[in-house]
Amino acid sequence: QGKMEEGKAYSPDGVFAHLEMLEARAREAAVKQEEMERQEEKLARLKARVQELRLQRDELRAKVDLQQKGQLGKEGVVSDPAQPSARAVLEWKIKSIKAMLQVFYLTGISGKLTKRGVCFCISTAYEGTYLDSYYLDLLAKPEVQIHRHSVPIFIPLEQIAKKYLQTDIRRFLSVLSDHLNAYVGRRYQADQLQEHFSDQIEGTLQRNSLCNLLVFNYNVSSKSKTFPFNVRLLYGDLCCSLPTEVIVSCTPDAPASLAETAAAHSDLFRHVALHKAFCSFSSAEES
Amino acid sequence: MDNSICQVYEDEIQSLEEEIKLLAEKYEDSQQESTFFSEEEILMSIKSFQREFQGGSKGHESPSDLKAQLESLETDLSFLMKFTGIQFTSHSKKTVEKTRNRTVRKHRLSGNCHSLSFQLEFQLLEMQNKESVSAVITDLSIIMESGEDSDVSKFVSR
Repeated sequence: QGKMEEGKAYSPDGVFAHLEMLEARAREAAVKQEEMERQEEKLARLKARVQELRLQRDELRAKVDLQQKGQLGKEGVVSDPAQPSARAVLEWKIKSIKAMLQVFYLTGISGKLTKRGVCFCISTAYEGTYLDSYYLDLLAKPEVQIHRHSVPIFIPLEQIAKKYLQTDIRRFLSVLSDHLNAYVGRRYQADQLQEHFSDQIEGTLQRNSLCNLLVFNYNVSSKSKTFPFNVRLLYGDLCCSLPTEVIVSCTPDAPASLAETAAAHSDLFRHVALHKAFCSFSSAEES
Repeated sequence: MDNSICQVYEDEIQSLEEEIKLLAEKYEDSQQESTFFSEEEILMSIKSFQREFQGGSKGHESPSDLKAQLESLETDLSFLMKFTGIQFTSHSKKTVEKTRNRTVRKHRLSGNCHSLSFQLEFQLLEMQNKESVSAVITDLSIIMESGEDSDVSKFVSR
């Protein structure tokens, strides 16, 4: 056993232990040094990248501003002062046809020719908001037939196809489109109701997958008391997003005046979209 | 301490990259929307592109690929116009607003629907949410020569 005083050691064990300790310290210091250098390197890299990107961004901004100014001068056709390459012209044309095809998507019927027929896309919308799209992959030979489709099972596709597919394909697509649009319209109204008027709805809104039968309870307030109304909406016309039959009922203990309200609501539901009807209830109450 | 500085740089890098992407798209959109080439110019370009290409591949799509793509798109488009009876004669659009999640474009279309000619203008808002892009049309205006035909006027006002 040696004593270690001020780095002086007299026994061999002590010397080795001391050496080991110094080595360990040196190693630690080296590791720390490496770590620091790595951090510094990383920071320097990041900083350089930021500068590079800032420059790129500023150049692009200037380019876009110049473009905007150039266009304010003359409305309509602006041709690039530098003669565009043939590739650029073709790419422009390809982009503009793709844009035109997107417009067809907005009309409700679009599609693409396939090796064996056509793949149609029926897009649906409700009051300007586009909802789901449905695909129909049709084969042309030996006769027009549906190869694959993404139409939900509760839409009477087979019936419609049986009636029109062979004889009048446009009519087929038109009738199918009516069904699909009406379905998404009904579904949209129910979803909007649940999303925006959940505080007025008591319990759950019951609906079937076709969304042509809705049953739910909602609260109506009269003279600072709330009464539950029950409503049953039947959409008998599958191509329509308004109900054909509406039954609004209130509890037997409800005041007589509410019977009038129930009738008024019933009428409203028959003519106005569900979520819009509820919107008018809220604003009526506020007034 | 160093880590937080790194983080600040990394955040800035990410936001700059997004901004650059958006600006590049804006520039492309604007170029696309303000240019117009006639059919002749397109045909000439196809020819000259094929000639240029004899030199060698640049890693881009070959002229035959582009030409094939163009033809396939044109075939689809002419099929749709014939099938639906809607012939669009002109289409112009202008990007009015573009942010990371929202794009608003003004469209102007004219064409014929069977024998009725029309002009349409509308604004299309596209929003990117988690899995999909939603589209909403607003400010729709329809101009049709529908003087005598009351059914058409009713449709237009609806």
